[in-house]
Amino acid sequence: MQVSEIISWLINLLFYKPEVFCPIFYPGLVTILALLIFIIWLERKIAAKVQLRYGPLYVTRKAGGILQLLADLLRYMFQEPIIPKTVDKIAFIAGPVLLFATAYVPAALLPATAEFTGLRSELSLLAVLALLTLAPIFDIIIGWGSNNKFSLIGSMREGYIVMSYEIPMFLSTLAIAMVYGSLNIVEIVEMQSRCWGILLNPIAAATFLLVALISTARFPFEIAEAETEIVMGPYTEYSGILYGLLMGASYVKFYVLSMLFALLFLGGWHPSITWLEKIHPAAPGLVVFIKALIIMVFGIFLRAVYPRFRVDQAIRVGWHLLFMLSMLSIAYSLAVIWLVG
Amino acid sequence: MELPKRVVHHIEALLTGAKYLVAKPRMTVMYPEEAQILPEGYRGMPKFNREKCRSCSLCARICPANAIKMYTVEVEGEKKKKYPGINYNRCIFCGFCVDICPAGALEFTDIHDYASYSLEDLVFKPDRFAEGPPPRPFKPKLVKPMLDEEVGLKYVPG
Amino acid sequence: MSERTIELYIGPQHPGSGHMRFDITLDGDIIVKAEPSIGYVHRSVEKIAETKTYIQIAPLVERPSLADTVNPNLGYILALEKLLGIEAPPRAQYLRTLAAEANRIHSHFYGIGILGIMLGSSTAFMWAFADREIMIELLQMLTGARITYSYVIPGGVRRDLPVGFKEAAEKALRYLERRLKDYEKLFFENPVTVARLKGVGVLKKEDAIALGIVGPNLRASGVHYDVRRIEPYAAYDDLDFEVVVKKEGDSYARLMARVEEIKQSMRIIRQVLEKIPDGPILHEKYYKMIPPKTRKQIEETGRLKFPAAFATLKPPKGEALSRVEGARGEFLYYVVSDGSPRPYRFRMVSPSFRNVWLFAHLLPGHRLADIPAIYGSIDYFPPCADR
Ligand code: SF4
Ligand code: SF4
Repeated sequence: MQVSEIISWLINLLFYKPEVFCPIFYPGLVTILALLIFIIWLERKIAAKVQLRYGPLYVTRKAGGILQLLADLLRYMFQEPIIPKTVDKIAFIAGPVLLFATAYVPAALLPATAEFTGLRSELSLLAVLALLTLAPIFDIIIGWGSNNKFSLIGSMREGYIVMSYEIPMFLSTLAIAMVYGSLNIVEIVEMQSRCWGILLNPIAAATFLLVALISTARFPFEIAEAETEIVMGPYTEYSGILYGLLMGASYVKFYVLSMLFALLFLGGWHPSITWLEKIHPAAPGLVVFIKALIIMVFGIFLRAVYPRFRVDQAIRVGWHLLFMLSMLSIAYSLAVIWLVG
Repeated sequence: MELPKRVVHHIEALLTGAKYLVAKPRMTVMYPEEAQILPEGYRGMPKFNREKCRSCSLCARICPANAIKMYTVEVEGEKKKKYPGINYNRCIFCGFCVDICPAGALEFTDIHDYASYSLEDLVFKPDRFAEGPPPRPFKPKLVKPMLDEEVGLKYVPG
Repeated sequence: MSERTIELYIGPQHPGSGHMRFDITLDGDIIVKAEPSIGYVHRSVEKIAETKTYIQIAPLVERPSLADTVNPNLGYILALEKLLGIEAPPRAQYLRTLAAEANRIHSHFYGIGILGIMLGSSTAFMWAFADREIMIELLQMLTGARITYSYVIPGGVRRDLPVGFKEAAEKALRYLERRLKDYEKLFFENPVTVARLKGVGVLKKEDAIALGIVGPNLRASGVHYDVRRIEPYAAYDDLDFEVVVKKEGDSYARLMARVEEIKQSMRIIRQVLEKIPDGPILHEKYYKMIPPKTRKQIEETGRLKFPAAFATLKPPKGEALSRVEGARGEFLYYVVSDGSPRPYRFRMVSPSFRNVWLFAHLLPGHRLADIPAIYGSIDYFPPCADR
């Protein structure tokens, strides 16, 4: 009896306690890893299709090579991570790990559904935003720690870009929060049951989407890693699993931002499919996931369409376009509040 | 560029990308599982026909890559004769040797992808040269490339 | 080196450098000084040529320039023909033009593709390399090889038009015309591409002339200069085409000059197939040397057999100079014969060698990220410069 009790206690803890389930399963780590494998594969497939090619195919051929990324992951695991003599060892090793971790942590704080959420707080939106700004610091640290000119230039670029997108990111999220008068993600979603955020403030939505693309180095803003200019930017010296972490980090961040976009602007888990709740309390949250996935697919599709901007042009987009847009979105929110009340 | 025009161009670029996302054409030939049928007169690895050879050495003299060398071969019942041998390692597939051979003793094969484990193995003395490069050890699906107005190149199974 | 600047070595092992190195001095993000350092793929074509017989040099000269092979081949043969005092019959001239223009198209696609990937547009790269294949396939039908055709020989060309070539060519051209419209939407007019290229790397007309720049790069700076027009060779005199000239001189103009040239080349190919006269494809003098039985075989297959004399071509004492307009610009050959079967001196000036100065001239004052944009727009090819 003892054993079965422990097991059922464990199951209860793992699967029915949101404080544990959210960070580990959905929307946390497990979902992220599965998504990484899928989305990078899809990115390569989409690019290949537009480019008249097949893309990854030979790993699990019948399924269109979907396990290619798993194979790549295994390769990264077993490849020797070369640590050059000239690098700052602590920064070099800790950087990627912390970068990935900080990219992942905000995901753990996202709610799965109204009742099922890891973090119950009036300020959950602020918490997520604050954590999101942590990751770029490590980008700069690894660029510095790599002791390589290309890495340094790459991370300086990253730094400039961060400065140009962070303010619009905050302003546009605050604009939407203003409309709802809340900084609690759950509350914001609940209030969207009638009208999605994207309709209430389309300017904020557009700004946030663009910011998401810039901050996760999607095309045309893949600037810090611009291959033909600065090799791999901050990641030049990396190999093996450390490189794998770095590569995954930007996708994780993109996932978090897409989830946030779905929650703030696309009505979150509305329209809610209540019968899903019978399977698992977090299951209705799948609606959010699907919405986020659509955003991500759009983001990765851009790779097949665009070249990349120059860093000064990206910064100009940040300050001239996005900053203006985010100010506008605040004004728009004020107007909406004033009109609708 | 004014803003509205730029927006139009953005949308056009995205739509074109989307068009190819759903459109059919693909350029890839799944080599080596599929291989192209090469056109007539394709300049593949040259092959030697000993019966026709007049031992004139023209092929060895014109070869720009010094790939062809004349070997002295003992022929039964006759006196010694000179026959060409080839080093495929050096050959650049210019086809000059085939085109200058007055007896038609050299001809093109359609093999261009023979690989070997050692460099010496690519040196073919006259007797091996007469057999030509070995055919592929497996049978690929053959496709014939056809120029096409719609998709550019169509690969028709053949 | 002051304290403000850093020195950056780009290449020769760098994803964006090709087989060469740039010594870049950077002040922040701005390039102060750029020195292209060439020679990493030097293969001594000129010296090797002195050890080869005249016919053996034909495949040699097309090796440095991977994308553009018919033109260097043709240029050399023109010099050799001058030494030998012969000229190819009209049909051969037309066939040379045809091959040269088809090659120009696929070389320009190559250049566009490289520019695409340098700017980060993998689609432009893949598309251009896929569509390059169309012309390669066409030329393979004609010559029997994919890239290194060695198609032009002294006194003519090696093969006649195969059956069904005209129809196939027409299909290919229609396809490419349609595709160019998609390129336009996805790449040429893509606002990001335009932002990266417009006004970047402006080469002024006077500078272009003073630096001795050649090819589309020169014409994109507003200089009306094309060897095909100025010293017509092959069949260019009879054909109607425009010399593409652009005024702006920036990277975008250089890209678009190539695109326009592709369209002009298509026009030329159509005209050639329309107008091509009947007749032999090899000069009489050599054709007569071929035994009658072989001649009959040639007429049946359309594939030439060489006369034995080709192995030991001995032009009389003298020197000859020839120029052709290659895809990347002008090829110049200077051959000195001392009456032996091997040239006494062989000089080959390739377009990339003349255009390489552009890096030192254009890069300073630009941003680090403009290196690929300018590099790609010049369509510079290190082996072609190193020879
Ligand atoms: S094809 Fe050319 S390189 Fe090859 S053996 Fe013949 S002459 Fe020599
Ligand atoms: S193969 Fe032809 S060219 Fe060579 S020696 Fe024999 S007959 Fe002469």
